[in-house]
Amino acid sequence: MNLDFLTIDVGTILFTLINTLIIFLVFKFLLFKRVDAILEQRKQEVNATYKKADDALASANSDKEKYASAMASAKEEASQIISRAEKNAQRQGEEILTQARQEALAVREKASFETEREKVQAREELQGEISDLAVELAQKIMEKEINKADHQRLIDEFLDEMTSEGEQA
Amino acid sequence: MEIGNLLRGSPDGIDVRGPGVLCSFDVFGVTINLTETVVISWGIILVVALLLNWITKDMKTKDISKKQVVAEWIVSTVYGLVDDTMGKHWHNFAPYIGALFTFSITGSLVSMLGLRSVTADFNAPLTWALVTFVLIHGTNIKTHGIGGYLKGYIDPVPVMLPINILSELATPVSMSLRHFGNVVSGMVITSLLYFALSAVTKSIGVAFMTIGIPAVASLYFDLFSGFMQAFVFIMLTMAYISNADGRNEE
Repeated sequence: MNLDFLTIDVGTILFTLINTLIIFLVFKFLLFKRVDAILEQRKQEVNATYKKADDALASANSDKEKYASAMASAKEEASQIISRAEKNAQRQGEEILTQARQEALAVREKASFETEREKVQAREELQGEISDLAVELAQKIMEKEINKADHQRLIDEFLDEMTSEGEQA
Repeated sequence: MEIGNLLRGSPDGIDVRGPGVLCSFDVFGVTINLTETVVISWGIILVVALLLNWITKDMKTKDISKKQVVAEWIVSTVYGLVDDTMGKHWHNFAPYIGALFTFSITGSLVSMLGLRSVTADFNAPLTWALVTFVLIHGTNIKTHGIGGYLKGYIDPVPVMLPINILSELATPVSMSLRHFGNVVSGMVITSLLYFALSAVTKSIGVAFMTIGIPAVASLYFDLFSGFMQAFVFIMLTMAYISNADGRNEE
């Protein structure tokens, strides 16, 4: 038995309505809900991955800045140390030089002072001896009755003595 | 003789009938028929459910399988179509559109398996058109209020009332008859073609005519027409419903 070619059949409409509802539910729960869930999950994973990458980049950048500033301060410190050392060295060198100069000056002064003193001493000694000799000569003149020739000879002797003593001194 | 048969129909008859009735029972005096259409629909539902269950099984977020690509493509395509045609607030309507399209196109394509097309039974497209009709008016009342909905019938002038009512009633009728007419005419033409070709075969005595030509005809009438009508049906459904939705007007 067949229905007419073009007929409106309540039973078929009801069944088709139920079938359409079922196929709608099949699509909703077996396809759309599942795919939506997986897409949402993927979205979250992608977001998490991006966030992780951003965090890593940010920490890398801050580390880089930290290193750069550390390097800069180290360089500055090094140059400070070097300049300080240079200054120290210069100052010390100057001090040593000044001291050496002063010492040299002192040595020279001392030496000239000694020489002067010895000269004075020598002169004093010489004068003492001359006066002794004069006294001696006077005694000799007194002691002896002498002629002119002896007299001359005595003076010559005395002068010779003087000269040789002066040369010795 | 054979040519005469071709012109006035065969003694075996060109068999163009309504869907077969498998059994029928009375419920409160109304005869409920369990027809070929319904049973084939059940088969379609079963196959579609198994297929969808299979392609959406073991889905992952990375290293996805080919079937998952297909599943995601279907979902995103339907979402895109619905969002473009109806607007973002109809996003959740997508599963119905997908289901309707699938039911319609598979209902037409079962003819390629030698079964009777579900959509060649007027009751199937009529049911879908009635669902669309209810959705149109439900949406209209929901967004414009019952007063605004009723006022729409005397718009722009009260004289338009009968014309407006007719045009509203014509919507499901035209939708369902268009779908039914296209599929059933394809079916009739295919039957005629088979009959004519077998008549030619009988007169020539060689059976080659029934091999190539019906395949080409089937390609157009079943595949192209079935796809076209399913597409037209969902596009019209979306257009009418979003048209009834006042939110789309601003």
